[in-house]
Amino acid sequence: MERKNKTKKSSELIDYIIIGNSAAGLAAAEGIRELDKAGKITVFTEEGHLNYSKPMITYFLAGIVNLDRVSFKDKKFYSVNNIDIRLNTRIKSVDTAGMSLMAEDGSRYRFKKLLIASGGKPVIPKIKAAGTDGERNRHFNSIDAMNYKKIGGIFTLTTLEDAVRVKDYIEKHGVKRISILGGGLIGLKAAEAFLEMGIDINIIELENRVLSATFDRRASEIIEKKIKNKGSNIYKNNTIKEIYITDGRISGYRLKDSRKMECSLLVIAIGVVPDTGFIDSGKLRINRGIVVDDHMRTSVKNIYAAGDVVECLDILLGENKNIAIWPLAVMQGAAAGINMAGGNKKYSGGFFMNSVEILKVPSISMGMASAEGGKEENIEVLKDFNQEKNIYKKIVIRNNKIIGVILVGNIERAGIYAGLIRNEIDISSVRENISKEDFGIIHLPADYKKHLVVGEGTEV
Amino acid sequence: MPERPGDDRMKRIYIQEEYCIGCRLCEIYCQVKYSKSKKIIKAYKEEMVDILPRVLVEEIGYNSFAIQCRHCADAPCVSACISGAMQKNKNTGVVTCDEDKCVGCWSCIMVCPYGVIRRDLAGRKIVSKCDLCVDEDIPVCVKNCPNEALKFIEKDENEKNMVKSRNGKKK
Repeated sequence: MERKNKTKKSSELIDYIIIGNSAAGLAAAEGIRELDKAGKITVFTEEGHLNYSKPMITYFLAGIVNLDRVSFKDKKFYSVNNIDIRLNTRIKSVDTAGMSLMAEDGSRYRFKKLLIASGGKPVIPKIKAAGTDGERNRHFNSIDAMNYKKIGGIFTLTTLEDAVRVKDYIEKHGVKRISILGGGLIGLKAAEAFLEMGIDINIIELENRVLSATFDRRASEIIEKKIKNKGSNIYKNNTIKEIYITDGRISGYRLKDSRKMECSLLVIAIGVVPDTGFIDSGKLRINRGIVVDDHMRTSVKNIYAAGDVVECLDILLGENKNIAIWPLAVMQGAAAGINMAGGNKKYSGGFFMNSVEILKVPSISMGMASAEGGKEENIEVLKDFNQEKNIYKKIVIRNNKIIGVILVGNIERAGIYAGLIRNEIDISSVRENISKEDFGIIHLPADYKKHLVVGEGTEV
Repeated sequence: MPERPGDDRMKRIYIQEEYCIGCRLCEIYCQVKYSKSKKIIKAYKEEMVDILPRVLVEEIGYNSFAIQCRHCADAPCVSACISGAMQKNKNTGVVTCDEDKCVGCWSCIMVCPYGVIRRDLAGRKIVSKCDLCVDEDIPVCVKNCPNEALKFIEKDENEKNMVKSRNGKKK
């Protein structure tokens, strides 16, 4: 066991400290080990599980995988890579000037290089509440981030612990219908799991359709219809105005439109924000997320950041943005690790993408998918909807380059579009083929096609 | 950067587009390999509906080629995989999907610029892709191509061939 020193003077100096034990943090540890086999790496996580994939928690919930299979790294990962992993250790503060950090138990650690990969944390809105805590007869006036865990049946769904608690609660209380506040990415991912389990859902969405940020109207409609046909409900243009608590557990709520609903389990899924609250930022620049450059460096020397906690280049916007998705977190983490160990690896930026399958209907959206053109200059939209097969394809083009795609029902070869977006390929010569159902590499512009077919299998 | 023997020295399948006649024997032999019976007639009659070929022939008129996983050096499917199923072997360079780990989230399909990872049709929610026939000397698609439109060679050799064919054209 490590000694725990409380004074700054005697605290140990660690070569590489990584805050966060998920996609970005562990990709960084591997990146460091590519160049530095000996330097000490310590990974801190506030969670108690050795290693698990956050996007897998809904698959665990749905019963597709059990607790043994939620890890995305081998059991030997930490020993093989010689990583000191500290579980259940929330970092309380980071002193960016003094190059040290303090854990919640008061232990202080100094670092030569730091990676902040602390991810995101769920947003809990303040909602009026009425009712009492069964045991202590304490009255709740409202629920918020500080107290929602004290009320039975109100959950967020961003960690494995959340998923375990939701699963237990469903079994213990025989929950037959679950309400989900928020019809965005996390809400729909939760919906995917509950519907798979045969549980009916109520989705409460502030906008006039689900997935409003990443889908267009037609794509939202297809998914909504599918959900409604299964006996579930979607309450749009709506939100929860008041929560009713009975004996310490949620028993119902009142919607904005005044309807009163019964409810035994509510998942709050309105969004996630970068988890930066513990950093005494000093000179470390934080906007919505921690600002990093194309080498994942923050504004403070020797401090790097990667994953859902950062904002960095969105290649479609041409500016920094927080894009909290797994593939980018891994790429950013890998680059950060190599650079921390003295290498030189550029992170070339990214763009949003997401895959979700609702009731056997797969869908993928990427880039600026909800754009409709019309008033927007230089934007053209191609759509192909096959009502019979429930297959929808939409391509958004700006200045002859694809900037957004939605695929519903048929997602085959979706990545070809991702390649066209990332490589900014001019598609004007092949425009008539681009939204075809059997669209493939053979339809691509000659140069890019040749690159894919004849070029060797390296990054394109 | 560290040496990556797995990538520099591994044999890959290179596509000789101009020799492909679109016969699709590569697809058929791939399906046979992943059939239960391993016998072409039996597999064709009884099993084909369930087995996806892991090599894909694209064809318009006389223009055709067969493409399968390129086993990229920086494989986007490996970065995107949320379950740890998609792995690149550090020694051999081969990218494979562990079917027991795959949960069918389709992230790899979302990012593969070649579009060569597919949803398995056989019912289980997993992906299907080329594993370079690691248990064979030569991948079956290459072995059974009647016109040598697919070659299983190292990177250096392929580059030599490409230079040769370029020079040939000039003459």
